[in-house]
Amino acid sequence: MTTGYHPLVKRLLDGELSLAELPPELQVEGEEALRLVGAVDRAPVTLPAALEARVMETVRRHAASPARRAWRWLATPRELELRVRVRPWSLWAGALAAAAALALLVSRAPEPSTPQARIVPRDRVYVRFVLFAPGARRVTVAGTFNEWDQNAAPLVSAGSKGVWTTTLAVPLGQHQYAFVVDGRRWVIDPAQPAVDDGFGGGRRNSMVAVTAQGARTL
Amino acid sequence: MGLRDEATDGEIVRAVLAGDRERYAVLVRRYRDRYARYAARMLGSRDAAEDAVQDAFVRAFDHLADCREPDNFAGWLFLILRNRCFAEQRRRTREGRPLEAHDEAFAGPERPDGTVEQAERMRALERALGDLTPEQREVFVLKHVEGLPYEEISRLTGATVASLKMRMHRAYDRLRELLKEHV
Repeated sequence: MTTGYHPLVKRLLDGELSLAELPPELQVEGEEALRLVGAVDRAPVTLPAALEARVMETVRRHAASPARRAWRWLATPRELELRVRVRPWSLWAGALAAAAALALLVSRAPEPSTPQARIVPRDRVYVRFVLFAPGARRVTVAGTFNEWDQNAAPLVSAGSKGVWTTTLAVPLGQHQYAFVVDGRRWVIDPAQPAVDDGFGGGRRNSMVAVTAQGARTL
Repeated sequence: MGLRDEATDGEIVRAVLAGDRERYAVLVRRYRDRYARYAARMLGSRDAAEDAVQDAFVRAFDHLADCREPDNFAGWLFLILRNRCFAEQRRRTREGRPLEAHDEAFAGPERPDGTVEQAERMRALERALGDLTPEQREVFVLKHVEGLPYEEISRLTGATVASLKMRMHRAYDRLRELLKEHV
């Protein structure tokens, strides 16, 4: 039965040691190991140019598929413009309602967990995002609700040391998101569950469900 | 062609998302061969690699809106291809099928760069790689075929350098056992 390579020989194969640095009793084993790894075939593999045509043909078919188009339409966040016709008397009613809502918000200050939500008309809910990131110079939040645009939603420093916050009108539905610290470091929301982003590499996104009743943890 | 091909990956991804889907062909041309060798060594044949790369490009297009770093499209595409290769290997294991026999693309005796003995050793190594676990095979391929340092492999795969080294060292031991008659 063959035993495994000596740890020093493994370091030789890893390129951390040279053959000359091995003790004399490991020289033969080292040479054998180098022969083994030296047999590896590094010849480039070139794929036929026809692959491009096949990919593009499939891509066009997928792009034209009504089901896929419908799914993309549903899954893509978009801005909606709401036009409201207001009668003068309703302005007074609206002002009274706004005053009552403000009093409610002031009297029931939200707990410092993230994200929090309050309700706006129908298609969107205001969600408050909070991240504790002491030492950060810039924090933004990117997710499925803003097409992962790292610059679309900056957080502002909330006065308390290291607390960054912003409130966004987020479309109803399930969303994945992450914070971007100083333009390069992606950070999941420690207050929310996270899921694998589905593309391997161990990257995770935070999850939140935005319903007409507010944001809730999945 | 021309100026359009010089656009960055991020610019092309954003253009495709905005509706100019034909520009996706630029990305296909740009990265068609970059990871072909990786896929071929992971799956054991050029044909399987071609299928995997094609599927990866289509899947990347279907999920392009989820690419959160368009300027790193290549790294994202690699992760999709990697998932595809691992899924294919899991499928073969489930079905009781080994990796495909290596094809003429690898280590053929007619290769001008070595002796018959070297070619035979290459073929033996290719066969032995098929007996490693997918994780061991991947780290071997990325380090010794693609020539990447552990730090770069860690960045690509998300595994720590320590766990990559552990996989690799187990792979060395397994290869030694499998190839004892060839070295």
